[in-house]
Amino acid sequence: MIPDNTTIALSIVFLAALVHASFQLSISVLTLMSGHALGRKTAHRRLVHLIGGFVSGAIVMTVFLLTFIAYLAGVIMPFGTPAILWAISSGLAIGVGIAVWLFYYRRQLGTILWIPRSFARYLDNRAKTTKSAAESFSLGLSSVLSELLFIFAPLIIAALVLIRLTPDMQALGILLYASVSLLPLLVISLLISNGRKISRIQQWRETNKRFLQFAAGSGLLILGVYIYSEQIVIVNALGGL
Amino acid sequence: MGLAVDVVKPYGKQKPMTYDSEKLARSINSACLSVRTPEGEAASTASHVARIVSLWVNSKPAITTHDIRRLVAQHLQRYHPDAAYYYLHQRRIL
Repeated sequence: MIPDNTTIALSIVFLAALVHASFQLSISVLTLMSGHALGRKTAHRRLVHLIGGFVSGAIVMTVFLLTFIAYLAGVIMPFGTPAILWAISSGLAIGVGIAVWLFYYRRQLGTILWIPRSFARYLDNRAKTTKSAAESFSLGLSSVLSELLFIFAPLIIAALVLIRLTPDMQALGILLYASVSLLPLLVISLLISNGRKISRIQQWRETNKRFLQFAAGSGLLILGVYIYSEQIVIVNALGGL
Repeated sequence: MGLAVDVVKPYGKQKPMTYDSEKLARSINSACLSVRTPEGEAASTASHVARIVSLWVNSKPAITTHDIRRLVAQHLQRYHPDAAYYYLHQRRIL
């Protein structure tokens, strides 16, 4: 039977992964890459390879970032995470959550994000010129890295929670984080692979963009407030008894 | 065929270029293919819409890429609404 504190830890990892899943940059790049590939008459099998490469790249980078942060935290702080780091992490989650509420999408038509335009142009050009699975794999890697500004808070919270678990539960937590955070990307890639029109997918994304923005911002706020309450307020209160 | 009409890029990022109806037809064709239109239908829709837009462009000394995009989407809407949406929004995805 899984102990209670492990269940709570895995729930936090699940919530952090849900927040990560609501960010849209990788999905935008996948949509662009698929649109360009279809526009130049790419065969269906080749398109599926490109999509597979992209999703694999996103999975590898997500798992790498999570395990790297967890490893680094474990090496630097072998005797437990200091309260200051929990406070910084929760502050980061709350701050980014409010910023996402206010700024995630630009105030114009489409799903244009508040990322540097030069960076968006670079990703757009890479999506346009991607013709092999190896290129789409590296595009998947870079698209997760480009989202780092938004996903850093859920990643660091999940990593700090994971290092307190036993090795088998850590592996389960990493699997849980990767599968939940990449679920929307997997769903979109399945839809495109099964012949769904890019325009319909993009229309759905545009119609629901404010809801996704609200969900991402709220999720980060809830995560930040929960971590602050659990690790700072409650721990301090118990320490004072 | 290239007409002697200047196409002005947004924010003056690049020098104006000459209007090219074949290039326009290629981009419309690509947008149609992106929304999984059969190749023949995509090619005929693209050449038809490009011809209509060229007639309009021919009467102007200079036009902006935004004008072209809006006009193409407006005409494409009649033949292929999905392609029209994608053509208009493909630069607003990221």
